Amino acid sequence: MPAIKLDQVSRAYGKQVYAVRDLTLEIPDGSFTTLLGPSGCGKTTTLRMIAGLDMPTKGTIRIGDKLAFSLEEGKSLAPAKRGLGLVFQSYALWPHLTVAKNISFGLEVQKVPRAEATRRIEQVATALQIDGLLGRYTSELSGGQQQRVAIARVLVMQPSVLLLDEPLSNLDATLRMDMRAELKRLHQETGATIIYVTHDQLEALTMSTHIALMQSGRLQQFAPPLEVYAHPANQFAADFLGNPRINLLEGSVERGHFKCAGLDLALPDTVSPADTPTATLGLRAEELRLHGASGPGLAEARVTTLLPTGSDWYYNVELAGKSLIVRQNDGPQLRLGETVHVEARPESIKLFAGDGRALLAAPTVPMGS
Amino acid sequence: MSSVATAPSPLSRLLSFWPIVTLVALATSTFLLLLPVYNIVGLSFSGQEGGAGIFENYIMFFSEPYYYRSLINSFIVSISAMVLALLIGVPAAYIVSRYDIVGRSLIKTAVVLTFVSPPFIGSYSWVVLLGRKGVLSQMFADVGISLPSIYGAPGIIFVFTLQFFPFVFLLVSSGLKSIDQSVEDAARNLGSGEGRTFFTVIAPLLLPSITTGALLVFIASFTDLGTPIILGERFRVLPVLIYGEFVNDFGGRPVLASTLAVLLLIVTTGALLLQRRLAARFSYATSAIRPLTLQSPGPLKRFLASVFIYGLVLLALLPMINIVISAFLKSNGPVLVAKFTLANFDKVWRMADGPLLNTVMFTTIATAMCAIMGTMIAYIIARRSGRISALLDTVVMFSYAVPGIVLGVGLVVTYHNPPLALTGTPLILILAYFIRRLPFSVRSSVSSLQQLSRDTEEASINLGAGPGRTFLKITVPLLSMAILSGALLTWSNTIRELSATLVLQSGSTTTISVEIFNEVANGNFGTASALGMTLIVLTFLPLLLLFTFLGKNEEALV
Repeated sequence: MPAIKLDQVSRAYGKQVYAVRDLTLEIPDGSFTTLLGPSGCGKTTTLRMIAGLDMPTKGTIRIGDKLAFSLEEGKSLAPAKRGLGLVFQSYALWPHLTVAKNISFGLEVQKVPRAEATRRIEQVATALQIDGLLGRYTSELSGGQQQRVAIARVLVMQPSVLLLDEPLSNLDATLRMDMRAELKRLHQETGATIIYVTHDQLEALTMSTHIALMQSGRLQQFAPPLEVYAHPANQFAADFLGNPRINLLEGSVERGHFKCAGLDLALPDTVSPADTPTATLGLRAEELRLHGASGPGLAEARVTTLLPTGSDWYYNVELAGKSLIVRQNDGPQLRLGETVHVEARPESIKLFAGDGRALLAAPTVPMGS
Repeated sequence: MSSVATAPSPLSRLLSFWPIVTLVALATSTFLLLLPVYNIVGLSFSGQEGGAGIFENYIMFFSEPYYYRSLINSFIVSISAMVLALLIGVPAAYIVSRYDIVGRSLIKTAVVLTFVSPPFIGSYSWVVLLGRKGVLSQMFADVGISLPSIYGAPGIIFVFTLQFFPFVFLLVSSGLKSIDQSVEDAARNLGSGEGRTFFTVIAPLLLPSITTGALLVFIASFTDLGTPIILGERFRVLPVLIYGEFVNDFGGRPVLASTLAVLLLIVTTGALLLQRRLAARFSYATSAIRPLTLQSPGPLKRFLASVFIYGLVLLALLPMINIVISAFLKSNGPVLVAKFTLANFDKVWRMADGPLLNTVMFTTIATAMCAIMGTMIAYIIARRSGRISALLDTVVMFSYAVPGIVLGVGLVVTYHNPPLALTGTPLILILAYFIRRLPFSVRSSVSSLQQLSRDTEEASINLGAGPGRTFLKITVPLLSMAILSGALLTWSNTIRELSATLVLQSGSTTTISVEIFNEVANGNFGTASALGMTLIVLTFLPLLLLFTFLGKNEEALV
């Protein structure tokens, strides 16, 4: 099984516009790696360059021990020879062929003997629960069924790497949940390396073993999902992951305290960042606690909105003129306009420098740039 | 796979599927289009006697009234026809698209029928009706009314207007379909009346359709050869002069014909470039979620609209009705006698293995070539963008600007002498039809390709199929409906071709359109009508298939 190595890969359009810039990434063998980021961040371009459907303008791509692309050596391996199966966001099924013909297309190209081909098609169709649909045309299938056919079409080729480009974005919410679990099962059963592109942070967090977070063509952080969530490498990573979005407060650091208008928060003793006039404090909704009584290290705030979800309570509280969102799943129910006292647990505090760099979180996986 | 595949060397990259197709397409259009045009331009700058230098022919053209009048005449008839076509076509499209008058789809079919019927058939039919001994002229003369003459400029303008207003009608109809009802509702809600709403809101949104329609009428009128030959008499337009000079020079070097052809080409190219600029300038990205709805006009409005639209349709269909009747009437030379006969069709049967077979065969082969080459060129333009593909696009679209008579003269000049003496062979006609209609096939496939996601092809590449296999197994089947409807349109457009055919045919390669032309020239109206009816049926049949089975509507024609 191959690891996929990208070294200083760029994809430029003209001289100024970069879709991907200086991307260095080693996707571990057998991992479920998600390329995550907002639209236009370069994640799909990266996937297409790995698949060989797009050419980098700089850098080297290796798939296992194969050199897939190298500008210096003038080499570009044909897409078909890379041993990668690509599932498209649009599924890209062929409406003029039946499900069976769609799945057997690649086998026919490779001239796999008929008996062997039939066996493999049946096997993959059974695994994906589409064995009853083989004689139908793809336009007669539901979205979820089309999705399965698209996956079957590449799985039947027994690829060592599976590339998935936003495969769930065209499905409704319930089906998406089911397919998430199914893709995770698929990963465990086949042992294939999966590279998965999505802009949905929840998909990335729930499914992957690794997240490569990208923005504006550049890698922001490469780490296991919970690592990215707990220790974002920069303010963008903190802001992009998490629902609701992380609370950000702008202020300064002075002698171990974070200060902004009306707030003076003692930073944990374990870290002592240097003083800086511009810093941003990051506080996740579920890592804040609301107390009725005041106490040391608590900041006074007022409840402005109540948002119950059934399992949890979300409150918007106003603290020193800034609105914070807080999630509570126990404790007394608060009333609108009530005065509360906010506690930020020292170990959960995130602090970023003026340029967005994390000041407290120590990345444990030194990767990327 | 453990070995590293090397990147293809420059040579093997050139020898792969698409580069070869690109090369073939470029070579084809160079030899069939660029070289002929280059040659007539070259001839136009060659002094005959020496002396006045390379501009000798142009100086002669612009100093002799006999010559330069033809250019002025061409502008007079084309601009008049364009203005009249707008004045008729825009209201007609609005009425048929907006008012629930009776027989709306029949009216559209009638417009299509007049549109696809060969122009020169319409002209000679008007001669039968309104000529010096015309049926209608006589009828009205008997009651003391003298109808205006069908000959000369007014007649040509009249026939061009009726023949070409469908350009405006069809484009504006399709433009109206892309306007959302909310646009009109908003204006009406703010107190604007129907007329005001049309001129201030609807018409500006229709400008791309209107300008495109107007310039297509202009170009069609400017380059038409059949109608002015039949109706012009001493009123000569540029294409007629080209044809006359070409026939005079035949065998020699058609220097003057080339000079005139270059002037014609400059005007049509200019008009097309203008059309592109205007269409781009006025185009707004509109999409109709809820298209304009049908209205029920008040009694007076309904009456006026009905009179206008039924009158127009009747007038436009009159020549065709006349042809169908004349085809079954005994004729005594140019005079038709009111006696039923099938004798006129004898000539059609006798032509079955001559001109009729030629027409069908040349058209079918050229159509098949257009479908195959056009789809491949469309693929290169739509999918393999780059400098060479842009060049190919421009070259192919240039063919659109080259009028039939100009292409004909160019091909004769280029392929008259050994080693490539092709004039008079079926091949030269087939090639001429092919290159003339190529842009239409390309356009139709390009627009379908743009709607077809690239993913469908990349999925095939990803599964190991090569570019050729992907094209044949995936792209072509998915485009098959578009290719088929493009081919049907090409067929019905090619089968009535006259101007290039007149120049390129020899006795043994003559076609129905040329035969009709000859019969008209000899005054055999009965036979001409029978042939004309045959040609109209052949033209209309594929369109019937297109509308009935492929779900296309009339707007697909423009």
